[in-house]
Amino acid sequence: MLPDSKVPAGPLADKWDRHRFELKLVNPANRKKYDIIVVGTGLAGASAAASLGELGYNVKNFCIQDSPRRAHSIAAQGGINASKNYSNDGDSTWRLFYDTIKGGDFRAREANVYRLAQLSENIIDQCVAQGVPFARDYGGLLDNRSFGGAQVARTFYARGQTGQQLLLGAYSALMRQVSEGKVKLYARREMLDLVIVDGKARGIVVRNLITGELESYSAHAVVLATGGYGNAYFLSTNAMSSNVTAAFRAYRKGAFFANPSFTQIHPTCIPVHGLHQSKLTLMSESLRNDGRVWVPKEPGDKRVPEKIPESERDYYLERKYPSFGNLVPRDVASRNAKEQCDLGKGVGETGLAVYLDFAEAIKRDGKNVIEAKYGNLFEMYEKITGENPYVTPMKIYPAVHYTMGGLWVDYNLMTNVEGLFALGEANFSDHGANRLGASALMQGLADGYFIAPYTISGYLGSNTIKSIDTSHPAFDQSRKEISEQVSRFLSIQGKQTVNQFHRRLGKILWDYCGIAKDEAGLSKALGMIRDLRKEFYKDVYVPGEGADFNQSLENAGRVADFMELAELMVLDALNRKESCGCHLNTAYLTEENEPLRDDENFALVAAWEYTGEDKEPVFHKESLTFENVELTQRSYK
Amino acid sequence: MNWFIETFRTSIGKKLLMAITGLGFLGFIAMHLMGNLTLFAGRDAFLAYVEALHGLEAFILVAEIGLLVFAIIHVFMGLTLYLANNNARKVRYAVQKSGGGRNIGSATMPYTGLVILLFLILHLNNFSFADVSDDRTIYEVVTATFASLGYVVIYLVAAVALAIHIRHGFWSLFQSLGLNHDKYMPAIRKIGIAFAVVVGAGFALIPIYLNLTV
Amino acid sequence: MTKNINLTLKVWRQNRSRPKGGFEIYNAKDISTDMSFLEMLDVVNENLIVEKKEPIAFDHDCREGICGTCGAVVDGQAHGPQKETTLCQLHMRHFKNNETIVIEPWRARAFPVVKDLVVDRGALDEIIAAGGYISAKTGGPQDANNILIGKEIADEAFNAAACIGCGACVAACPNASAMLFVGAKISHLGLLPQGRPEAKKRVMSMVRAMDRLGFGNCSNETECEIQCPKAISIKNIARMNRDFVKASVS
Repeated sequence: MLPDSKVPAGPLADKWDRHRFELKLVNPANRKKYDIIVVGTGLAGASAAASLGELGYNVKNFCIQDSPRRAHSIAAQGGINASKNYSNDGDSTWRLFYDTIKGGDFRAREANVYRLAQLSENIIDQCVAQGVPFARDYGGLLDNRSFGGAQVARTFYARGQTGQQLLLGAYSALMRQVSEGKVKLYARREMLDLVIVDGKARGIVVRNLITGELESYSAHAVVLATGGYGNAYFLSTNAMSSNVTAAFRAYRKGAFFANPSFTQIHPTCIPVHGLHQSKLTLMSESLRNDGRVWVPKEPGDKRVPEKIPESERDYYLERKYPSFGNLVPRDVASRNAKEQCDLGKGVGETGLAVYLDFAEAIKRDGKNVIEAKYGNLFEMYEKITGENPYVTPMKIYPAVHYTMGGLWVDYNLMTNVEGLFALGEANFSDHGANRLGASALMQGLADGYFIAPYTISGYLGSNTIKSIDTSHPAFDQSRKEISEQVSRFLSIQGKQTVNQFHRRLGKILWDYCGIAKDEAGLSKALGMIRDLRKEFYKDVYVPGEGADFNQSLENAGRVADFMELAELMVLDALNRKESCGCHLNTAYLTEENEPLRDDENFALVAAWEYTGEDKEPVFHKESLTFENVELTQRSYK
Repeated sequence: MNWFIETFRTSIGKKLLMAITGLGFLGFIAMHLMGNLTLFAGRDAFLAYVEALHGLEAFILVAEIGLLVFAIIHVFMGLTLYLANNNARKVRYAVQKSGGGRNIGSATMPYTGLVILLFLILHLNNFSFADVSDDRTIYEVVTATFASLGYVVIYLVAAVALAIHIRHGFWSLFQSLGLNHDKYMPAIRKIGIAFAVVVGAGFALIPIYLNLTV
Repeated sequence: MTKNINLTLKVWRQNRSRPKGGFEIYNAKDISTDMSFLEMLDVVNENLIVEKKEPIAFDHDCREGICGTCGAVVDGQAHGPQKETTLCQLHMRHFKNNETIVIEPWRARAFPVVKDLVVDRGALDEIIAAGGYISAKTGGPQDANNILIGKEIADEAFNAAACIGCGACVAACPNASAMLFVGAKISHLGLLPQGRPEAKKRVMSMVRAMDRLGFGNCSNETECEIQCPKAISIKNIARMNRDFVKASVS
């Protein structure tokens, strides 16, 4: 049974206020009696751990990297949205709410999204107070820019390194709590199991990545802020250690996984080149503010771009979407790039790329202006490709970037497992079927700074949670299961490496569960993934020992989970018989080849319940009701 | 005074001591060179300078004590830092290569420092503690010393070591004192090199000149 | 243009069964010049695994030069020979066919080797915990635009804040000093009006923490600035020195 989403009654704008009042509090003197585990130190995890520590709880904060400052939030480039209306161009909480819910193609909860828009302003204030060096104008005021799919300039930024600066802000707040003794940090630990006692999340088992030891930690509540699962595709813009394991093990312990097939494919990434590529690099979407996307008009035109005259170029985004042009939302831009390449108009060695051309902008504004805006991005591009984008157009192609799906949570960001919370990209809550640019940072920080501290207090305040410690048999059981899995990986002694399997899994997902899907392909993928899994457990070779620093072993566990997750993603995609946002099923298209929603049957959240290995998961549906916005066909023409 | 001692026990405090004492030596070296240049003007000019200097007895005493204290601090701190810095990297790199920041001055500070220290002992023994009388003035002591080719070579080596030491020490002390500014630092760096060259050349020319002419 | 090259790698290996460590020689064949340095190591590792040997342990994560996880001393240079480039962004087109490359971990007493090329940089976190923050409690700050910060100051603070905490400055410094790392954080926070109230306490406690953790001292050799993948300026060290003096005497 899917529990109630706990969305409070009342007018949209008052829901959060009222809910905050109704949430129980924990007396300041009593807070030190509660332990809270926070897994992850990205924007959501670090901000939650710091804020909960400030409130007086004992926080245990875990991260997989060697330092909390390295979480993948750090790689976000473009910016963070907030409805401050500093630009005086008509922005408001309501507009940010509306843009976000429409951008998500009406597959998110109204109340959650509205709250996100409300909190957006506090985030900027909080970050500035912490010393985040946002871009400023000469008068000393904060500068804004417009960003992917928005018609107002509401994006705050710190050059092309906004995620880094925001994360360092949250990290500094976290380290302050560490020095005060309120947060205890556990770096280089990977969560491998959630421990549930009497139906409540009460702890985790982690693997110490240096010694290989399994360690148990107990708490009164567990918070997962463990990011997204884009790495299921092998090639993505995610960091190498980004994985689904923590969330997936929680899923196996009963937490529902919502909308797993909602994967955002970012339009402006450096194209794949070569077989040994380990990851794809994103080029900030802000580039589309000045760059023009084009392909040759004639398929198979292999001339160098400078040799193709204007009249033989197709600026297809400007042609098809005159009012948004190159600034259409990510899903639209990605889909169109694939469409052009499928027509044989793709450029570069592989034919899987389109041009992003700055020639006109450089001519109009001068090289200096373009350099000031995008200098670091251009440098990065040149470092990777060896080509100079000031002289020749960039080549770009879509790449997996963000997963809107994640653990199902209610309005309190609590999963269906009591006491288990999921924040940031790890939950499914705010972006529907497509996330707008500069919204991920906003959501991570809103969850961590301004939502979880209240709702976790509310949970602790309204439940009697008896004390247990790690001697409880549930911890032994978890450790035993993990040890068995580790031994299993090490004992297969096959011929193929973990990476080889991961690469193959990624290709299946990219080919059949990527930018455009269809039922035949998805069904085929399902079989392929199942076969691959069987092969994995027969023929993988994991070197080294369990009780050691062993990166191959770490990867084996992650890839094993990705394989199971991949099945779930495909099942979810098969189940959603419509197109919406990033989920494009070619059977459901408008006459203009845009995604065709089925609001009558699929205005819903698909929440999946684990029932056992090799068993079909159970589908639960949360119907989405829209009382404040009218469901329209998205149009960016 | 506790805070005072505490300050100089920190890494930055030690750097500051090196910088402040180094600055003191730069001042002394400039004066010393200017005075000694009178040697080029011959015996009388030099002795007049020495006479004038001895006239400032109280000042000289204070300056000498000051220089001695500075020297003790500079040497002791330098040694402490040298050992501590060695200790901060117990296993060295198999390939040691500069990215371009190191120069002959910065890479050899402890060694040129040691050379200067050893030289200083010799130098003080040669001249400051030399027996002088009416018929054997300091001028005769100096010229007699530099008549020996061995001494000339030693003095040349010391002058070169000093120039190399100053080449890094000059701008470095400004950096240590926190005086690094886009507008001024390029000039400071140039002046430092010029200063090193002038000092090195000045001190090197004296023994050569005396050896050849007297 | 893309081509393939062959390389000889001399890699530092150190683990529990070989606690003192030593170099091993590997051949890296058919390396595409389009690969990044870490992708080249991936290829070597995949081959080692297939040969049932233990792969080379190295730290890496974002592979786009921002997380600060990766890093090794390549031919005597932190993050290799390219300026302003992390190891993950160093591409093989900068190497020649049949070249021998020596790969060593960051070496500093404060960064003990965990395994092979992996070191423990926890000391940098400890320095930040000692005061590398502004004590802004969550909730209720003033409107962001109430604090005016001129563009020049904001930009300068940003330049210092761009530090990725990779530890290359320590690795590159002939004395294994962490002054550039600490100076950058002190500059970032100290330049901003929000950071001024705590500036004195911050510089005192961060410098003390740095000293306690076994880093060497700065002798102004500027190797840190040159080998820093983000080109953080040594002006930040000067600013720290200045702030430290001010804080000490006042």
